[in-house]
Amino acid sequence: MDYQFDFHFLTGKADMLLEGLWVTLQLTLYANAMGVVLGFVLCLMAMSKFRMLRWPCQLFIEFFRCTPVLLQIVWFFYCIPILFQVYIDPITMGVLALGLNLTAFNAEAYRAGIQSVPKAHFDACVALGLKSWQQTLYVVLPQSLRTAMPVLLTNGISLMQQSALVAIVAVSDLMYMGKSIAVDAYRPLETYSLIALIYFLMALPISHLVNVFERRQDAAMQR
Amino acid sequence: MNTAEVVVNMPPANAMEAGQFIQLDNVFKAYNNELVVMDGMNLDMRADDRLVIIGPSGSGKSSLLRVLMGLEGIQGGDINFHGQPYIKSENNDSKVVSDELHSRVGMVFQHYTLFPHLTVMGNLILAPMKVHGKDKQSCIAKGRELLARLGLEDKVDYYPSQLSGGQKQRVAIARALMLEPELMLFDEVTSALDPEMVTEVQNVMMQLAEQKMAMIIVTHDMHFAREIATRVVFCAGGKIVEQGTPDEVFGNPKEARTREFLDKVLHLN
Ligand SMILES: Nc1ncnc2c1ncn2[C@@H]1O[C@H](COP(=O)(O)OP(=O)(O)OP(=O)(O)O)[C@@H](O)[C@H]1O
Ligand SMILES: [Mg+2]
Repeated sequence: MDYQFDFHFLTGKADMLLEGLWVTLQLTLYANAMGVVLGFVLCLMAMSKFRMLRWPCQLFIEFFRCTPVLLQIVWFFYCIPILFQVYIDPITMGVLALGLNLTAFNAEAYRAGIQSVPKAHFDACVALGLKSWQQTLYVVLPQSLRTAMPVLLTNGISLMQQSALVAIVAVSDLMYMGKSIAVDAYRPLETYSLIALIYFLMALPISHLVNVFERRQDAAMQR
Repeated sequence: MNTAEVVVNMPPANAMEAGQFIQLDNVFKAYNNELVVMDGMNLDMRADDRLVIIGPSGSGKSSLLRVLMGLEGIQGGDINFHGQPYIKSENNDSKVVSDELHSRVGMVFQHYTLFPHLTVMGNLILAPMKVHGKDKQSCIAKGRELLARLGLEDKVDYYPSQLSGGQKQRVAIARALMLEPELMLFDEVTSALDPEMVTEVQNVMMQLAEQKMAMIIVTHDMHFAREIATRVVFCAGGKIVEQGTPDEVFGNPKEARTREFLDKVLHLN
Protein backbone atom coordinates (compact mmCIF):
# COMPACT_ATOMS: atom_id res chain seq x y z
CA MET A 1 0.00 0.00 0.00
CA ASP A 2 1.58 3.26 -1.03
CA TYR A 3 -1.12 5.56 0.31
CA GLN A 4 0.33 8.60 2.06
CA PHE A 5 -1.57 9.40 5.23
CA ASP A 6 -1.93 13.10 5.72
CA PHE A 7 -3.85 14.61 8.59
CA HIS A 8 -2.83 18.21 7.93
CA PHE A 9 -6.06 19.07 6.21
CA LEU A 10 -7.76 18.58 9.57
CA THR A 11 -6.19 21.69 11.08
CA GLY A 12 -8.94 24.23 11.29
CA LYS A 13 -11.60 21.52 11.07
CA ALA A 14 -11.55 20.73 14.79
CA ASP A 15 -14.43 23.14 15.38
CA MET A 16 -16.60 21.35 12.87
CA LEU A 17 -15.82 17.99 14.41
CA LEU A 18 -16.52 19.24 17.91
CA GLU A 19 -19.79 20.74 16.76
CA GLY A 20 -20.77 17.43 15.19
CA LEU A 21 -19.69 15.55 18.28
CA TRP A 22 -21.81 17.81 20.44
CA VAL A 23 -24.87 17.13 18.26
CA THR A 24 -24.23 13.38 18.42
CA LEU A 25 -23.91 13.56 22.19
CA GLN A 26 -27.13 15.52 22.47
CA LEU A 27 -28.98 13.06 20.27
CA THR A 28 -27.63 10.16 22.32
CA LEU A 29 -28.27 11.65 25.77
CA TYR A 30 -31.75 13.03 25.13
CA ALA A 31 -32.93 9.98 23.24
CA ASN A 32 -31.62 7.79 26.06
CA ALA A 33 -33.31 9.88 28.72
CA MET A 34 -36.51 9.51 26.76
CA GLY A 35 -36.02 5.79 26.18
CA VAL A 36 -35.19 4.95 29.78
CA VAL A 37 -38.21 6.77 31.23
CA LEU A 38 -40.82 6.18 28.53
CA GLY A 39 -39.61 2.62 27.99
CA PHE A 40 -40.65 1.76 31.54
CA VAL A 41 -44.03 3.47 31.17
CA LEU A 42 -44.63 1.81 27.81
CA CYS A 43 -43.70 -1.56 29.27
CA LEU A 44 -46.18 -1.15 32.13
CA MET A 45 -48.91 -0.21 29.66
CA ALA A 46 -48.04 -3.10 27.35
CA MET A 47 -48.42 -5.43 30.35
CA SER A 48 -51.68 -3.83 31.49
CA LYS A 49 -54.69 -6.02 32.11
CA PHE A 50 -56.78 -3.64 30.01
CA ARG A 51 -56.81 -4.77 26.43
CA MET A 52 -57.55 -1.31 25.04
CA LEU A 53 -54.34 -0.07 26.60
CA ARG A 54 -52.25 -3.17 26.02
CA TRP A 55 -52.86 -3.70 22.34
CA PRO A 56 -51.87 -0.28 20.98
CA CYS A 57 -48.72 -0.37 23.08
CA GLN A 58 -47.76 -3.82 21.87
CA LEU A 59 -48.37 -2.65 18.32
CA PHE A 60 -46.14 0.39 18.93
CA ILE A 61 -43.35 -1.86 20.19
CA GLU A 62 -43.65 -4.27 17.29
CA PHE A 63 -43.75 -1.44 14.78
CA PHE A 64 -40.43 -0.02 15.93
CA ARG A 65 -38.84 -3.42 16.23
CA CYS A 66 -39.96 -4.62 12.85
CA THR A 67 -39.10 -1.69 10.56
CA PRO A 68 -35.65 -0.34 9.65
CA VAL A 69 -34.40 2.52 11.83
CA LEU A 70 -33.31 4.40 8.76
CA LEU A 71 -36.84 4.26 7.43
CA GLN A 72 -38.22 5.44 10.79
CA ILE A 73 -35.91 8.45 10.73
CA VAL A 74 -36.67 9.33 7.14
CA TRP A 75 -40.38 8.89 7.77
CA PHE A 76 -40.26 11.23 10.75
CA PHE A 77 -38.36 13.93 8.93
CA TYR A 78 -40.54 13.97 5.86
CA CYS A 79 -43.95 12.90 7.08
CA ILE A 80 -44.38 14.66 10.43
CA PRO A 81 -44.17 18.15 8.83
CA ILE A 82 -46.66 17.13 6.16
CA LEU A 83 -49.09 15.45 8.53
CA PHE A 84 -49.05 18.04 11.30
CA GLN A 85 -48.03 21.18 9.43
CA VAL A 86 -45.28 21.86 11.96
CA TYR A 87 -41.65 22.73 11.67
CA ILE A 88 -39.50 21.05 14.30
CA ASP A 89 -35.78 21.71 14.43
CA PRO A 90 -33.72 18.80 13.09
CA ILE A 91 -32.07 17.85 16.37
CA THR A 92 -35.39 17.64 18.22
CA MET A 93 -36.76 15.62 15.35
CA GLY A 94 -33.77 13.30 15.54
CA VAL A 95 -34.21 12.91 19.29
CA LEU A 96 -37.88 12.09 18.79
CA ALA A 97 -37.29 9.49 16.09
CA LEU A 98 -34.36 7.83 17.86
CA GLY A 99 -35.99 8.20 21.30
CA LEU A 100 -39.22 6.51 20.26
CA ASN A 101 -37.27 3.69 18.68
CA LEU A 102 -35.28 3.25 21.87
CA THR A 103 -38.46 3.45 23.95
CA ALA A 104 -39.78 0.40 22.14
CA PHE A 105 -36.58 -1.58 22.60
CA ASN A 106 -36.18 -0.57 26.23
CA ALA A 107 -39.77 -1.56 26.96
CA GLU A 108 -38.78 -5.08 26.01
CA ALA A 109 -35.73 -4.86 28.26
CA TYR A 110 -37.86 -3.79 31.22
CA ARG A 111 -40.36 -6.57 30.71
CA ALA A 112 -37.97 -9.27 31.85
CA GLY A 113 -37.09 -7.08 34.83
CA ILE A 114 -40.68 -6.55 35.86
CA GLN A 115 -41.48 -10.22 35.47
CA SER A 116 -38.57 -11.09 37.71
CA VAL A 117 -40.12 -9.31 40.72
CA PRO A 118 -41.42 -12.17 42.88
CA LYS A 119 -45.19 -12.31 43.31
CA ALA A 120 -44.75 -12.43 47.08
CA HIS A 121 -43.30 -8.92 46.96
CA PHE A 122 -46.61 -7.58 45.73
CA ASP A 123 -48.36 -9.28 48.64
CA ALA A 124 -45.88 -7.68 51.00
CA CYS A 125 -46.56 -4.30 49.41
CA VAL A 126 -50.29 -4.66 49.99
CA ALA A 127 -49.67 -5.78 53.57
CA LEU A 128 -47.57 -2.65 54.10
CA GLY A 129 -50.34 -0.49 52.67
CA LEU A 130 -48.45 0.69 49.56
CA LYS A 131 -50.78 1.94 46.85
CA SER A 132 -50.27 0.40 43.45
CA TRP A 133 -48.40 3.45 42.08
CA GLN A 134 -46.15 3.33 45.12
CA GLN A 135 -45.46 -0.37 44.52
CA THR A 136 -44.52 0.48 40.95
CA LEU A 137 -42.30 3.40 41.91
CA TYR A 138 -40.57 2.09 45.02
CA VAL A 139 -40.48 -1.67 44.49
CA VAL A 140 -40.97 -2.63 40.84
CA LEU A 141 -39.00 0.16 39.16
CA PRO A 142 -35.77 -0.14 41.19
CA GLN A 143 -35.74 -3.92 40.91
CA SER A 144 -36.46 -4.05 37.20
CA LEU A 145 -34.07 -1.18 36.50
CA ARG A 146 -31.33 -3.22 38.07
CA THR A 147 -32.19 -6.36 36.09
CA ALA A 148 -32.60 -4.44 32.85
CA MET A 149 -29.49 -2.26 33.23
CA PRO A 150 -27.10 -4.27 31.00
CA VAL A 151 -29.64 -4.35 28.18
CA LEU A 152 -30.55 -0.67 28.65
CA LEU A 153 -26.88 0.28 28.36
CA THR A 154 -26.36 -1.96 25.34
CA ASN A 155 -29.41 -0.39 23.69
CA GLY A 156 -28.02 3.01 24.63
CA ILE A 157 -24.72 2.40 22.85
CA SER A 158 -26.33 1.00 19.75
CA LEU A 159 -28.49 4.09 19.69
CA MET A 160 -25.37 6.20 19.54
CA GLN A 161 -24.23 4.23 16.50
CA GLN A 162 -27.65 4.49 14.90
CA SER A 163 -27.72 8.21 15.52
CA ALA A 164 -25.23 8.46 12.65
CA LEU A 165 -28.15 7.72 10.35
CA VAL A 166 -29.61 11.18 10.91
CA ALA A 167 -26.78 12.52 8.76
CA ILE A 168 -28.89 11.27 5.85
CA VAL A 169 -31.55 13.85 6.61
CA ALA A 170 -28.96 16.61 7.05
CA VAL A 171 -28.73 16.77 10.81
CA SER A 172 -25.21 18.08 11.39
CA ASP A 173 -23.99 15.35 13.73
CA LEU A 174 -20.52 13.86 13.91
CA MET A 175 -21.14 11.63 10.89
CA TYR A 176 -22.50 14.50 8.81
CA MET A 177 -19.59 16.77 9.66
CA GLY A 178 -17.15 13.99 8.91
CA LYS A 179 -18.75 13.47 5.55
CA SER A 180 -18.50 17.16 4.69
CA ILE A 181 -14.85 17.30 5.67
CA ALA A 182 -14.06 14.12 3.76
CA VAL A 183 -15.72 15.40 0.63
CA ASP A 184 -14.15 18.87 0.84
CA ALA A 185 -10.62 17.59 1.30
CA TYR A 186 -10.89 14.42 -0.75
CA ARG A 187 -9.57 12.60 2.28
CA PRO A 188 -12.17 9.90 3.08
CA LEU A 189 -9.70 7.42 4.55
CA GLU A 190 -8.30 9.73 7.21
CA THR A 191 -11.60 11.37 8.02
CA TYR A 192 -13.78 8.29 8.30
CA SER A 193 -11.09 6.47 10.29
CA LEU A 194 -10.91 9.35 12.71
CA ILE A 195 -14.71 9.50 13.05
CA ALA A 196 -14.83 5.77 13.65
CA LEU A 197 -12.20 6.15 16.37
CA ILE A 198 -14.23 8.86 18.06
CA TYR A 199 -17.41 6.72 18.09
CA PHE A 200 -15.36 3.79 19.32
CA LEU A 201 -13.77 5.73 22.16
CA MET A 202 -17.13 7.04 23.30
CA ALA A 203 -18.81 3.63 23.29
CA LEU A 204 -15.99 1.57 24.75
CA PRO A 205 -16.29 2.69 28.39
CA ILE A 206 -20.03 2.08 28.37
CA SER A 207 -19.51 -1.31 26.84
CA HIS A 208 -17.15 -2.08 29.70
CA LEU A 209 -19.73 -0.86 32.18
CA VAL A 210 -22.13 -3.44 30.77
CA ASN A 211 -19.62 -6.18 31.51
CA VAL A 212 -19.23 -4.91 35.05
CA PHE A 213 -22.99 -4.93 35.59
CA GLU A 214 -23.33 -8.40 34.17
CA ARG A 215 -20.56 -9.74 36.34
CA ARG A 216 -22.10 -8.12 39.39
CA GLN A 217 -25.47 -9.65 38.58
CA ASP A 218 -23.97 -13.10 38.19
CA ALA A 219 -22.35 -12.66 41.58
CA ALA A 220 -25.66 -11.57 43.10
CA MET A 221 -27.37 -14.64 41.68
CA GLN A 222 -24.85 -16.88 43.35
CA ARG A 223 -25.47 -15.39 46.77
CA MET B 1 -38.47 5.00 75.89
CA ASN B 2 -40.78 2.35 77.20
CA THR B 3 -40.01 -0.80 75.22
CA ALA B 4 -43.55 -2.14 75.22
CA GLU B 5 -44.60 1.10 73.55
CA VAL B 6 -42.22 0.54 70.68
CA VAL B 7 -43.49 -2.82 69.67
CA VAL B 8 -47.04 -3.41 70.68
CA ASN B 9 -49.88 -1.11 69.95
CA MET B 10 -52.49 -1.98 72.54
CA PRO B 11 -56.05 -1.97 71.29
CA PRO B 12 -58.74 -0.34 73.46
CA ALA B 13 -59.76 -2.26 76.55
CA ASN B 14 -63.19 -3.16 75.25
CA ALA B 15 -61.54 -5.07 72.40
CA MET B 16 -60.86 -7.77 74.99
CA GLU B 17 -64.56 -8.59 74.91
CA ALA B 18 -66.11 -10.98 72.45
CA GLY B 19 -67.25 -9.40 69.20
CA GLN B 20 -65.10 -6.32 69.64
CA PHE B 21 -61.95 -7.32 67.77
CA ILE B 22 -61.95 -9.56 64.71
CA GLN B 23 -65.22 -11.18 63.84
CA LEU B 24 -65.93 -13.40 60.84
CA ASP B 25 -69.58 -13.82 60.12
CA ASN B 26 -70.59 -16.63 57.80
CA VAL B 27 -67.67 -16.02 55.44
CA PHE B 28 -67.68 -17.85 52.15
CA LYS B 29 -64.75 -18.01 49.79
CA ALA B 30 -64.09 -20.12 46.74
CA TYR B 31 -61.38 -19.95 44.10
CA ASN B 32 -62.66 -19.85 40.52
CA ASN B 33 -66.22 -20.45 41.75
CA GLU B 34 -65.50 -24.07 42.53
CA LEU B 35 -62.75 -24.67 45.06
CA VAL B 36 -64.36 -23.76 48.37
CA VAL B 37 -61.84 -22.79 51.03
CA MET B 38 -64.11 -20.97 53.50
CA ASP B 39 -67.55 -22.44 53.81
CA GLY B 40 -69.66 -20.29 56.09
CA MET B 41 -66.84 -19.68 58.52
CA ASN B 42 -67.52 -18.00 61.84
CA LEU B 43 -64.75 -16.86 64.10
CA ASP B 44 -64.56 -14.49 67.00
CA MET B 45 -61.16 -13.29 68.05
CA ARG B 46 -60.49 -11.09 71.05
CA ALA B 47 -57.61 -8.66 71.31
CA ASP B 48 -55.94 -10.81 73.94
CA ASP B 49 -56.15 -13.94 71.79
CA ARG B 50 -53.28 -15.63 70.06
CA LEU B 51 -54.89 -17.98 67.60
CA VAL B 52 -52.95 -20.81 66.09
CA ILE B 53 -54.61 -22.26 63.03
CA ILE B 54 -53.83 -25.87 62.27
CA GLY B 55 -55.19 -28.17 59.63
CA PRO B 56 -54.29 -30.37 56.70
CA SER B 57 -52.46 -28.97 53.69
CA GLY B 58 -54.88 -27.24 51.36
CA SER B 59 -57.47 -26.68 54.08
CA GLY B 60 -57.44 -22.93 53.51
CA LYS B 61 -55.28 -21.68 56.37
CA SER B 62 -53.24 -19.35 54.19
CA SER B 63 -56.40 -18.25 52.43
CA LEU B 64 -57.90 -17.16 55.75
CA LEU B 65 -54.85 -15.02 56.55
CA ARG B 66 -54.74 -13.59 53.03
CA VAL B 67 -58.38 -12.59 53.29
CA LEU B 68 -57.73 -10.86 56.62
CA MET B 69 -54.78 -8.99 55.06
CA GLY B 70 -56.88 -7.87 52.10
CA LEU B 71 -54.96 -9.95 49.59
CA GLU B 72 -57.96 -12.02 48.57
CA GLY B 73 -61.64 -11.22 48.28
CA ILE B 74 -64.55 -13.12 49.79
CA GLN B 75 -67.77 -14.08 48.08
CA GLY B 76 -70.06 -14.21 51.07
CA GLY B 77 -70.39 -12.95 54.63
CA ASP B 78 -68.73 -10.08 56.47
CA ILE B 79 -65.68 -9.45 58.55
CA ASN B 80 -65.78 -6.81 61.25
CA PHE B 81 -62.86 -5.28 63.07
CA HIS B 82 -63.45 -3.26 66.23
CA GLY B 83 -67.14 -3.67 65.55
CA GLN B 84 -66.84 -1.79 62.25
CA PRO B 85 -67.12 -3.22 58.74
CA TYR B 86 -63.66 -4.30 57.65
CA ILE B 87 -64.24 -6.64 54.74
CA LYS B 88 -67.51 -7.06 52.94
CA SER B 89 -68.69 -9.29 50.13
CA GLU B 90 -71.16 -6.85 48.62
CA ASN B 91 -69.83 -6.76 45.07
CA ASN B 92 -69.67 -10.53 45.05
CA ASP B 93 -65.91 -10.36 45.36
CA SER B 94 -64.53 -7.59 47.44
CA LYS B 95 -61.62 -6.93 49.67
CA VAL B 96 -61.00 -4.37 52.32
CA VAL B 97 -63.52 -1.56 52.80
CA SER B 98 -61.52 0.40 55.38
CA ASP B 99 -57.93 1.43 54.71
CA GLU B 100 -57.70 2.69 58.24
CA LEU B 101 -58.54 -0.73 59.70
CA HIS B 102 -56.29 -2.38 57.10
CA SER B 103 -53.32 -0.41 58.42
CA ARG B 104 -53.83 -1.95 61.85
CA VAL B 105 -53.05 -5.42 60.51
CA GLY B 106 -49.55 -6.65 59.69
CA MET B 107 -48.41 -9.86 58.04
CA VAL B 108 -45.28 -11.93 57.65
CA PHE B 109 -45.09 -14.52 54.90
CA GLN B 110 -43.57 -17.93 54.39
CA HIS B 111 -41.44 -16.72 51.49
CA TYR B 112 -38.86 -14.01 51.94
CA THR B 113 -40.37 -10.70 50.94
CA LEU B 114 -37.71 -8.17 51.90
CA PHE B 115 -37.08 -5.80 49.01
CA PRO B 116 -33.62 -6.71 47.70
CA HIS B 117 -32.71 -3.22 46.49
CA LEU B 118 -33.16 -1.69 49.94
CA THR B 119 -31.06 -2.14 53.06
CA VAL B 120 -32.58 -3.51 56.24
CA MET B 121 -33.30 0.05 57.38
CA GLY B 122 -34.60 0.97 53.93
CA ASN B 123 -37.07 -1.89 54.15
CA LEU B 124 -38.21 -0.81 57.59
CA ILE B 125 -38.83 2.85 56.84
CA LEU B 126 -40.36 2.58 53.35
CA ALA B 127 -43.99 2.17 54.37
CA PRO B 128 -43.99 4.46 57.44
CA MET B 129 -42.52 7.25 55.32
CA LYS B 130 -44.31 6.77 52.03
CA VAL B 131 -47.67 5.51 53.26
CA HIS B 132 -47.98 7.26 56.58
CA GLY B 133 -45.90 10.33 55.84
CA LYS B 134 -43.72 10.00 58.94
CA ASP B 135 -40.46 11.90 58.97
CA LYS B 136 -37.30 10.00 58.22
CA GLN B 137 -35.42 10.70 61.44
CA SER B 138 -38.12 9.38 63.73
CA CYS B 139 -38.61 6.32 61.50
CA ILE B 140 -34.90 5.55 61.65
CA ALA B 141 -34.84 5.97 65.41
CA LYS B 142 -37.79 3.65 65.77
CA GLY B 143 -36.25 1.18 63.32
CA ARG B 144 -33.04 1.04 65.34
CA GLU B 145 -34.94 0.49 68.54
CA LEU B 146 -36.91 -2.37 66.99
CA LEU B 147 -33.88 -4.00 65.40
CA ALA B 148 -32.05 -3.84 68.70
CA ARG B 149 -34.94 -5.60 70.39
CA LEU B 150 -34.83 -8.35 67.79
CA GLY B 151 -31.05 -8.71 68.09
CA LEU B 152 -30.34 -7.21 64.67
CA GLU B 153 -28.75 -3.87 65.58
CA ASP B 154 -25.57 -4.67 63.64
CA LYS B 155 -27.49 -5.44 60.43
CA VAL B 156 -29.00 -1.99 59.88
CA ASP B 157 -27.07 -1.31 56.67
CA TYR B 158 -27.03 -4.85 55.31
CA TYR B 159 -28.85 -5.83 52.16
CA PRO B 160 -31.26 -8.78 52.38
CA SER B 161 -28.91 -10.92 50.28
CA GLN B 162 -26.34 -10.62 53.06
CA LEU B 163 -28.67 -12.03 55.73
CA SER B 164 -29.44 -15.58 56.77
CA GLY B 165 -32.98 -16.89 56.40
CA GLY B 166 -33.73 -16.45 60.09
CA GLN B 167 -32.42 -12.90 60.04
CA LYS B 168 -34.54 -12.11 56.97
CA GLN B 169 -37.68 -13.30 58.71
CA ARG B 170 -36.88 -11.31 61.84
CA VAL B 171 -36.36 -8.20 59.72
CA ALA B 172 -39.68 -8.94 58.01
CA ILE B 173 -41.32 -9.04 61.43
CA ALA B 174 -39.65 -5.76 62.35
CA ARG B 175 -40.84 -4.23 59.09
CA ALA B 176 -44.43 -5.15 59.89
CA LEU B 177 -44.09 -3.89 63.47
CA MET B 178 -42.90 -0.48 62.25
CA LEU B 179 -46.52 0.28 61.37
CA GLU B 180 -47.66 -0.49 64.93
CA PRO B 181 -50.24 -3.09 64.00
CA GLU B 182 -52.78 -4.32 66.53
CA LEU B 183 -52.98 -7.70 64.85
CA MET B 184 -50.13 -9.69 63.36
CA LEU B 185 -50.61 -12.54 60.90
CA PHE B 186 -47.89 -15.16 60.52
CA ASP B 187 -48.19 -17.67 57.70
CA GLU B 188 -45.71 -20.51 58.25
CA VAL B 189 -42.90 -18.03 58.72
CA THR B 190 -40.39 -20.67 59.75
CA SER B 191 -41.16 -23.40 57.27
CA ALA B 192 -38.63 -22.19 54.69
CA LEU B 193 -35.88 -22.03 57.31
CA ASP B 194 -33.10 -24.40 58.18
CA PRO B 195 -33.86 -26.05 61.54
CA GLU B 196 -31.21 -24.14 63.45
CA MET B 197 -32.79 -20.82 62.52
CA VAL B 198 -36.34 -21.72 63.48
CA THR B 199 -35.85 -20.99 67.16
CA GLU B 200 -34.52 -17.46 66.71
CA VAL B 201 -37.67 -16.51 64.81
CA GLN B 202 -39.99 -18.33 67.20
CA ASN B 203 -38.30 -16.56 70.10
CA VAL B 204 -39.16 -13.22 68.57
CA MET B 205 -42.76 -14.31 68.25
CA MET B 206 -42.78 -15.47 71.86
CA GLN B 207 -41.42 -12.08 72.84
CA LEU B 208 -44.37 -10.44 71.10
CA ALA B 209 -46.71 -12.88 72.83
CA GLU B 210 -45.37 -11.83 76.19
CA GLN B 211 -46.25 -8.26 75.28
CA LYS B 212 -49.81 -9.39 74.56
CA MET B 213 -49.70 -8.81 70.83
CA ALA B 214 -52.79 -10.18 69.12
CA MET B 215 -51.71 -12.72 66.53
CA ILE B 216 -53.02 -15.33 64.18
CA ILE B 217 -50.39 -17.92 63.45
CA VAL B 218 -50.42 -20.70 60.90
CA THR B 219 -47.83 -23.33 61.66
CA HIS B 220 -47.10 -27.01 61.27
CA ASP B 221 -44.95 -26.96 64.39
CA MET B 222 -47.30 -28.39 67.01
CA HIS B 223 -44.86 -27.93 69.82
CA PHE B 224 -44.59 -24.22 69.10
CA ALA B 225 -48.35 -24.01 68.60
CA ARG B 226 -48.96 -25.39 72.04
CA GLU B 227 -46.45 -23.00 73.55
CA ILE B 228 -47.66 -19.76 72.01
CA ALA B 229 -51.40 -20.20 71.51
CA THR B 230 -54.16 -19.02 73.77
CA ARG B 231 -56.54 -20.76 71.42
CA VAL B 232 -56.02 -23.45 68.82
CA VAL B 233 -58.31 -23.63 65.82
CA PHE B 234 -58.48 -26.77 63.70
CA CYS B 235 -59.75 -26.14 60.17
CA ALA B 236 -60.70 -28.65 57.54
CA GLY B 237 -62.95 -28.53 54.52
CA GLY B 238 -63.45 -24.77 54.78
CA LYS B 239 -64.90 -25.01 58.26
CA ILE B 240 -63.66 -24.71 61.80
CA VAL B 241 -63.93 -28.27 63.02
CA GLU B 242 -62.78 -27.70 66.55
CA GLN B 243 -61.29 -24.98 68.70
CA GLY B 244 -60.20 -24.59 72.28
CA THR B 245 -57.23 -23.98 74.55
CA PRO B 246 -54.04 -25.76 73.55
CA ASP B 247 -54.58 -28.25 76.36
CA GLU B 248 -58.09 -29.01 75.19
CA VAL B 249 -57.26 -29.44 71.52
CA PHE B 250 -53.93 -31.20 71.88
CA GLY B 251 -54.62 -33.05 75.13
CA ASN B 252 -58.17 -34.10 74.58
CA PRO B 253 -59.51 -33.47 71.07
CA LYS B 254 -63.25 -33.99 70.82
CA GLU B 255 -63.63 -34.48 67.08
CA ALA B 256 -62.51 -37.60 65.28
CA ARG B 257 -61.00 -35.53 62.44
CA THR B 258 -58.89 -33.53 64.85
CA ARG B 259 -57.60 -36.71 66.51
CA GLU B 260 -56.81 -38.22 63.15
CA PHE B 261 -54.92 -35.09 62.02
CA LEU B 262 -52.98 -34.80 65.27
CA ASP B 263 -52.09 -38.47 65.25
CA LYS B 264 -50.67 -38.05 61.80
CA VAL B 265 -48.62 -34.88 62.38
CA LEU B 266 -47.40 -35.83 65.85
CA HIS B 267 -46.17 -39.12 64.53
CA LEU B 268 -44.26 -37.37 61.82
CA ASN B 269 -42.53 -35.07 64.30
N1 LIG C 1 -54.95 -18.01 44.11
C1 LIG C 1 -55.48 -19.25 44.09
N2 LIG C 1 -56.19 -19.65 43.03
C2 LIG C 1 -56.74 -20.87 42.99
N3 LIG C 1 -56.64 -21.77 43.97
C3 LIG C 1 -55.94 -21.43 45.06
C4 LIG C 1 -55.32 -20.15 45.20
N4 LIG C 1 -54.70 -20.08 46.39
C5 LIG C 1 -54.91 -21.27 46.98
N5 LIG C 1 -55.67 -22.08 46.21
C6 LIG C 1 -56.13 -23.42 46.55
O1 LIG C 1 -56.94 -23.32 47.69
C7 LIG C 1 -56.73 -24.39 48.59
C8 LIG C 1 -56.35 -23.84 49.93
O2 LIG C 1 -55.10 -23.22 49.83
P1 LIG C 1 -54.35 -22.59 51.06
O3 LIG C 1 -53.04 -22.13 50.58
O4 LIG C 1 -55.23 -21.60 51.72
O5 LIG C 1 -54.18 -23.86 52.00
P2 LIG C 1 -53.29 -24.07 53.29
O6 LIG C 1 -54.17 -24.60 54.35
O7 LIG C 1 -52.53 -22.84 53.60
O8 LIG C 1 -52.28 -25.20 52.82
P3 LIG C 1 -50.77 -25.45 53.22
O9 LIG C 1 -50.77 -26.05 54.59
O10 LIG C 1 -50.27 -26.40 52.19
O11 LIG C 1 -50.08 -24.13 53.16
C9 LIG C 1 -55.66 -25.26 47.97
O12 LIG C 1 -56.28 -26.34 47.32
C10 LIG C 1 -54.99 -24.35 46.97
O13 LIG C 1 -54.51 -25.07 45.89
MG1 LIG D 1 -50.49 -22.25 53.49
